[in-house]
Amino acid sequence: MISTIYEEFLELVAIEGEERQKVLPEWIQACKAMGFSEEDVRYATHEWIPKNHHIEYLGLRKILGALTRECIDHTKLHEYKKNGVKLVYGVLPAQTTTYTAIKMAGKDKVFVSFPDFNMMNMAQCLFNKAGRFFELAEQGGMTYGARHCALNKMRVGIRLSGMVPTPDVDWAWGLVCDEATKIDEYITHMYDKDWKTVTTRIPHDVQIGESGYQDEYRVKFLATELRRSMEEVEEIIGFKVKDEHVADAFKQYESVLKMGGQLVNLSLMADPQPLCSSTLQMVAGHPKTFPMNTGFEYYNDGLRTLLDETKKAIADGVGILPKGSPKVGFYFIPWALPWVDRLFIENGVVPSISMTMIPAKRQLEPSMYTDPYEKSAEGWLKGIFTMGCHEEVKDWTEKIEQFKPDAFVAGFLDYDRWIGALHKNMARDVEKQTGVPSFYLEADFYDGRDYSMEALRTRIESICQIIRAKRLSA
Amino acid sequence: MEILENLRKEASERAIKLSKDKQEGTRIIEYVGNFVPEEMIYAAGAKPYMMCRGGEPEPPDAVLEDMLRFTNPLARSQCGFYKLGIDPVTPMADLIIASQHECHVARMAEYMELLNLPVHKVGVPCDWKRDFTHEYYYDQLVSMKEKLEEVTTNKVTDEAMFKYIHLYNEMYDLLRKISDLRKSENPPISGTDFIKLNHYTFFAEPEYVIEQLKFIYEELKDKEGNLGKDAPRILVLGHSVAVGDYIVANKIEELGAAIVYEMLEEGFRWYQWDIPIEKDPVRGMLRQRYLDKPPVNNLEPAWGERMEYVEQLIKDYDIDGVIWYQLLYDEIWDLEYSCVAKRLDELNVPFLRVETSYEYTREAMLPLNTRLESYISVLKTRKKGEIA
Repeated sequence: MISTIYEEFLELVAIEGEERQKVLPEWIQACKAMGFSEEDVRYATHEWIPKNHHIEYLGLRKILGALTRECIDHTKLHEYKKNGVKLVYGVLPAQTTTYTAIKMAGKDKVFVSFPDFNMMNMAQCLFNKAGRFFELAEQGGMTYGARHCALNKMRVGIRLSGMVPTPDVDWAWGLVCDEATKIDEYITHMYDKDWKTVTTRIPHDVQIGESGYQDEYRVKFLATELRRSMEEVEEIIGFKVKDEHVADAFKQYESVLKMGGQLVNLSLMADPQPLCSSTLQMVAGHPKTFPMNTGFEYYNDGLRTLLDETKKAIADGVGILPKGSPKVGFYFIPWALPWVDRLFIENGVVPSISMTMIPAKRQLEPSMYTDPYEKSAEGWLKGIFTMGCHEEVKDWTEKIEQFKPDAFVAGFLDYDRWIGALHKNMARDVEKQTGVPSFYLEADFYDGRDYSMEALRTRIESICQIIRAKRLSA
Repeated sequence: MEILENLRKEASERAIKLSKDKQEGTRIIEYVGNFVPEEMIYAAGAKPYMMCRGGEPEPPDAVLEDMLRFTNPLARSQCGFYKLGIDPVTPMADLIIASQHECHVARMAEYMELLNLPVHKVGVPCDWKRDFTHEYYYDQLVSMKEKLEEVTTNKVTDEAMFKYIHLYNEMYDLLRKISDLRKSENPPISGTDFIKLNHYTFFAEPEYVIEQLKFIYEELKDKEGNLGKDAPRILVLGHSVAVGDYIVANKIEELGAAIVYEMLEEGFRWYQWDIPIEKDPVRGMLRQRYLDKPPVNNLEPAWGERMEYVEQLIKDYDIDGVIWYQLLYDEIWDLEYSCVAKRLDELNVPFLRVETSYEYTREAMLPLNTRLESYISVLKTRKKGEIA
């Protein structure tokens, strides 16, 4: 018998039986810590989640359950710290295996987390209530008009709200934008002189016509950055991360990745497409994106279930829109704002592939290196985030040609002075290369306040009309 | 200021002279960012031209078809002037060398590549406290040298590099002497003129610059300024006062305050630090830019050392107030602003942020004038001792 809205939420995210009774008081406590009122929980349970997420699939609900457990765990950070557990934070975009390896080495003596990303999952994606944290950061000194990244605002916001204690170390990867790592320096100067950071960076200096991952010098430099950073982290937390931990972390990563990849491929190739883009991005992308202190057991269970359910849906011809509906691809679907997906669906267009969902051919090539850090560095440099725009356009073109969406939408990263800086130009370039109509949407990836649903509705409607009209004329 | 006139004229003729040089076979090398050693370009037998023009509203807008709106206007301007066809040098440049230590410039360099301009990037690792990152920047400088040799077909010898290092050190020494005159109660040169003077030194041959700086120093050393001893003394901090972007600095001084020092990152010579004479001249170039001076804003860590330097400047130059000159959408500078504001508040030093989009219409200037007027009025009152 469900007695409260809190329990109803847990039921929705497939936390069942005795575990639910055990988790319930912790969840109520966690909601308080995150600043969610009973009404907020009701809104998420009855309106937001059912309207924006595929709750018809048990697998997805289980995955939301895994994220909920992780969130509850985060609200105990102060307790962990008091008990001497080492807190190791990280920020996007970092390789999660590094943190998983730290967790494997330290077990219960260490807590690994990307607290900002964790809270973005819950407060924005599932509750649509992250504004409070963004505003705290803005009031605290991250000027609204300077167009800061909302994920970074989240990091500052949760620190200022008192939810997140000072870590033993924040290992910050500044391999894409400048702001991610400078936020650590900002926190240290503004609020918390004990906030300790280890920084990993590499300049954006690949010359035109070169591929960063093919440049041994660059790979070795980044490998040295990673190795040195790990050594510095080890010194702070007081234990070593052995090669076997790194190897085990990779093994776990590859298994989740494989399942996620299967799910993405099945869904994207199916007609009708059973799952929308933000769901695919979230379920398949999250294990690549952030480490879970609670582990990936629950997540994997959800993923397995979802995979089976998706196969069945495909066999039954069940999809988000009827067979033959036009599809739109994205550079990176804003999974934390699932209403973006919904607006496309409401306008008769299926949100499909994101460039970030599937590996490019070069990423499937075997590594030229044996040293784990060099392998890691090479892997990183094969991704699209650090490469120059000339190489990146090739990547987009390859994926668009493979999945053949009816249109492609770049943008949603207007605050990112690296990733988002040349999307307008690149979208046009991709259109030239592939013939697929490409659009640019100036919008935010995480923050729904600046470019609200109503503000984007008309633009998305117009794009959908063009896509459908083009389909008809063809 | 009349004594700057020779240098001003020379600087204004630079593009024409480069055009002639080009016709005679000299290579023209543009560059972006102070991490690119100009002295190495001269040592290659080429002529350098610094890209740091700004202060006009149309160029940043001209690139919006392709670039992010939230890129700062200085970075957007460098491509914008070219796109508008009002950049006299870029079309004839044989090479554009761009320092890669922050994203605005990094993507601007890529955009130049998209415009089919010949770009060479010099990577500068931000985590400068790690010894192996010094080697990375060193290797990048060596690679820049090789690129210069390829473009100019001249060998860049140590001898030539040392020759220019000595010349630049002489130039820095003179700039220091002139700047130090501003420690006096009534500085003989205004801040706006000093910023312009600093800019002119980029657009003339170093030998001529030195000759002129000697003359200027001799002319100024025993003179009094126009603003008087009671003028509040201002320290300007910021990313850059671009070449041509003098309206705000001018306005500050028109309102009766004296800019007595500037801590700027781009388009401004780091004249306080000589290039050390090392066995390998490239090592000296590296040390001056990367290790010996307070770090630039985007290096990590940076702000602690930068703040210590600011506090020292406040003492050395008897500063009454600090103005933070920020480029619109310069997000990292915005973060540092909050940190500096916090510290200056603790030190009870009045602090004002002025943000620019390079839009200086009367409509845009009116609120700015009001803010500057009120701020300078407070400083004057404080200086008179009417406010504790």
